[in-house]
Amino acid sequence: MSFVTFILGLAVGMSFFLWLRFTVERQLRQLLASLDSSIPDDSMSLWSQLRRGIAVDRYEREDLERSVEYWQQILLDAPFGYLQVDEDNQLCWCNDKARSLLKIDRWNSGDSCLLLKLVRSYELDRAIELTRERQQPKQRDWTFHPVNANVEKPKLQDSLALRSHTFPLADGYVGVFLENRQPITDLARSRDRWLSDLTHELRTPLTSVRLVVEALQSRVEPSVKKWVDRLLEENDRLIKLVGDWLELSQLETNPSDRLNCKDLELESLVRSVWQTLEPLAQPQQINLICSIPTPCRIEADKSKLYRVFLNLLDNSLRHSPPKAAIEVEVLVPEGNRLEINIIDAGSGFSELDLPHLFERFYRGDPSRTREANSTVNGSGLGLAIVQQIVTAHGGSVVARNHPETGGAWVQIKLPIKCIHS
Amino acid sequence: MIVYSDTQTPARRPFQRELNRVERDILRMGALVETSCRLSHQALCDRNLSAAKAIPSLDKKIDRYYRQIEADCVLLMTLQAPVARDSRQLGAFMQLVRDLERIGDYAKDLAEISIKLFPYPEHNCMSRIAMMSQQAQAMLAMSLEALINLDAEVGLQMKEKDTAVDTAYDTLYQTLARQRDYQGVLEPILLLVLAIRHLERMADHATNIGRRVAYIVTGHRH
Repeated sequence: MSFVTFILGLAVGMSFFLWLRFTVERQLRQLLASLDSSIPDDSMSLWSQLRRGIAVDRYEREDLERSVEYWQQILLDAPFGYLQVDEDNQLCWCNDKARSLLKIDRWNSGDSCLLLKLVRSYELDRAIELTRERQQPKQRDWTFHPVNANVEKPKLQDSLALRSHTFPLADGYVGVFLENRQPITDLARSRDRWLSDLTHELRTPLTSVRLVVEALQSRVEPSVKKWVDRLLEENDRLIKLVGDWLELSQLETNPSDRLNCKDLELESLVRSVWQTLEPLAQPQQINLICSIPTPCRIEADKSKLYRVFLNLLDNSLRHSPPKAAIEVEVLVPEGNRLEINIIDAGSGFSELDLPHLFERFYRGDPSRTREANSTVNGSGLGLAIVQQIVTAHGGSVVARNHPETGGAWVQIKLPIKCIHS
Repeated sequence: MIVYSDTQTPARRPFQRELNRVERDILRMGALVETSCRLSHQALCDRNLSAAKAIPSLDKKIDRYYRQIEADCVLLMTLQAPVARDSRQLGAFMQLVRDLERIGDYAKDLAEISIKLFPYPEHNCMSRIAMMSQQAQAMLAMSLEALINLDAEVGLQMKEKDTAVDTAYDTLYQTLARQRDYQGVLEPILLLVLAIRHLERMADHATNIGRRVAYIVTGHRH
């Protein structure tokens, strides 16, 4: 009897033990499955598999930590500034370069502190906010003015031209790369000043050369005359170039002060420009199509706007095939802006040139920009002048190719009322 | 790594969060007012007309912030019924944005003055006015710094710093008003007197901001 009881007890005990073992084993397998690094290896016991899995995991974690440190070190030693803000615009990390650029001196790494408290720059804050809203990277050029709160010595500190690249990260965080543009800005300024001084110096001797050549023209032998004519032509080109450059630099230093804004009618202005160009257009039988709602009045500087149309139409003329048409179209959408489209049927701009068209002395494809028989313009400053004049009026200009004609399409947007008060 | 800091407390109280948001907007407004003042300085002292023209659009933004912050403060007061320092802080914020907004207005007035002043030759007082304008800007920077750090001491120091601007105003006023045998149109002199008056008022409002910060921290009116 007692034997039977013993066997029964043993059986109950064994079944408990087996059940327990079964559950433990199941849990172990689940645990192993959650360790994605473990490789199922039937030759090893579950316990050894688990031990191995944990060891592999730890190793991998150390590896990841090392690589994080490594990347952090790269950012720390980077030659540009980097900083990062959280979803509430609190600074959470920045490198030494960013500290020195933005003069962040009261911040210890690990603290979170509103970026605006450390760097009082509306532009930077705005760039970060826009990047977060649109979830798109953004590049912006702005000037950082360090503040001086010393009333006894209130000297203004030097400002710094910066370029920021902001980009969205996960959870509303935003990263910012900062690039110091001050040396480039200084260099560009000194280059322009240097060049405008030079052109200024060139103008007087060039004018005297012209007078001398004119005097020579009637006195030289007929065999030499064509050389003198050539001399005059080239000299005129130089004078024009110098004049263009001076105009451009004046426009640039004082964009809106140089404007003499008056009420004017657009169509008659375009027609008068076309009349000037008629001698060039007629041999090629090129026509002007003007679709301007009459009367279209705008407040602008007449001679400057004349210059804009002259440069653009002249460009179009020189690249239009014979018997083509050039279209000038003016739209007045609601609001206080005017849209002017100048479209030709030429070969258009090449894609490579498009971003640089408005740069000084930029010449794209030589076949397009300068023809052998051209005597007018071709200085490489025409479009740059157009852009400066339009900007001075508070407008904008864009160049692209027209989808229908395939030719150049320059679009100008101007405020109807002149900005200059 | 760097990237996601875990120092934040897991759930910040919603009120604190709202208060931080208001504070952030005030700092944004402060940054705008500082820009506006800097531009007015360039317009007045460096005869930079494009700077003068940029100010009105900035002033519109400042006004928008002013209205929004005021509305936010009222909403927080009524909905969250804060006590002690929090309620002082909200009350002071409401007053302080008013001061900031006034400083912005003065910057705009200075821009208008500098446009009117442009056709006239530069007055020989200009370098002293430039100095005064820089002092007023430094006062504004100091008041914002006091606000950022909630530093009552700096806030209270501002009163004595303000005397520097007041003295500059007095001496400049004497120089401009006591001129004898003045020939030509009176407009430039009038405009300059108005300009120094505006600068002096700017510094006064900055001092007020400093006092309000001290009130937030200590709870006493000074």
